[in-house]
Amino acid sequence: MKQIQLAYRKIIDAQSTSVWERYVFEDSYKEFLMQFQFYNTENKYYTFSRLSAAIPAAEKLHFLVSTAVTGYITQLQNKIPGIQNTLGKIFLPFHLYCFEIIDSDIRDKKAHRVAIIFYSEPLQWLDTIGEHLLISIHTGKESTHNKEMIRTELVKLQPFMSIYSLQKTNHATAIPGQDILS
Amino acid sequence: MERKKFLSQSLTALGVAFVAPITKACSKTDVIGDTDETGSGSCTTTPSETEGPFPTKSPSALVQSNIAGDRTGVPLSVKIYITNRNNSCAALANAIVDIWHCDAAGNYSEYGGTGMQSTNYTSVHWLRGRQTTGSNGLVTFTSIFPGWYSGRAPHIHVHVYNSSGRSLLVTQIAFPTDICNTVYTTASPYSTRGTQDTQNSRDNVFADSLDFEMSAVTGSVSEGYTLTHTINVSA
Repeated sequence: MKQIQLAYRKIIDAQSTSVWERYVFEDSYKEFLMQFQFYNTENKYYTFSRLSAAIPAAEKLHFLVSTAVTGYITQLQNKIPGIQNTLGKIFLPFHLYCFEIIDSDIRDKKAHRVAIIFYSEPLQWLDTIGEHLLISIHTGKESTHNKEMIRTELVKLQPFMSIYSLQKTNHATAIPGQDILS
Repeated sequence: MERKKFLSQSLTALGVAFVAPITKACSKTDVIGDTDETGSGSCTTTPSETEGPFPTKSPSALVQSNIAGDRTGVPLSVKIYITNRNNSCAALANAIVDIWHCDAAGNYSEYGGTGMQSTNYTSVHWLRGRQTTGSNGLVTFTSIFPGWYSGRAPHIHVHVYNSSGRSLLVTQIAFPTDICNTVYTTASPYSTRGTQDTQNSRDNVFADSLDFEMSAVTGSVSEGYTLTHTINVSA
């Protein structure tokens, strides 16, 4: 049995349609316009990619603009949006995420693209059935109705979803993120 | 048992607090209603909860008056008046004021090495805040006395915007040295690091403009301090 953590990257841009995505799009662009000015002191740049290439400190815009979406992340109630089990339910718990500006343009809102990578809590990877992972989100030793049974979920492998960490042990201990991503 | 009766009894058992959200979920006028609903019947392919529960408009996490978060130190109340040079230095209402400063150890809040944030945002956005001036041009923040880091005198960063978010001024606020000496030598946790290594007069930001950037600070370590400063902008 292996313990894994899944990552899911959700891209939000001008084509995004859901209410939640539109809030993230609109408010992150508004915040981008405000924070961009701090680094663009000579008004020489229009896009995030050009600005950050010329002024490395502008990489902090990822963090600074993320403040605009924190409230929306909280509204997800720690369930990763976009990943459903085979019953069609959102189920995958997370408490870590990473917001990034893919690119943006102070002259053109339609060029604003951001992404949020959600990192799942540690999961037990029990089996692989076709294109589906059989997992359990209950990694502890909590009691079940039947000692022979553990609650499981089936989730399909899909674009923008990845296994980003793996631990070959039965012990449910957290895997330090910095060892994986650094 | 009939479904309606069962639901009614269940809701009663759950208590009133649970009734409102359930009712909201059934409302056709709810904000989530314009997501990808695919109608009723057996052909439904997109579950209603796909977009997350009840998205609502949310302000930036920066919009907070108490910016201390989980940082500890001597309490500091920050009062900044924004005035308009283009209007005889009268108070400027509806200006957006961002401030940020380091903690007692000299660190700023930002991403860790992994780029990941916790959903508990107060653990990463501490000592950063945003307020909008009232008719008297005043914004107030509750924070802690900043520490210092090598090469800079103690300071608070300030970015002033007009009401539509256009940048008016980026500046910094300096602290009286005697107050800093008291805090950094007698108060926990500052005293473990001692006094600042850069004086205002030798600071590369304040050296040529200290008169305009020096704040008035009153109070004590035990009672906390109040910082007052006026910033003139061209709005």
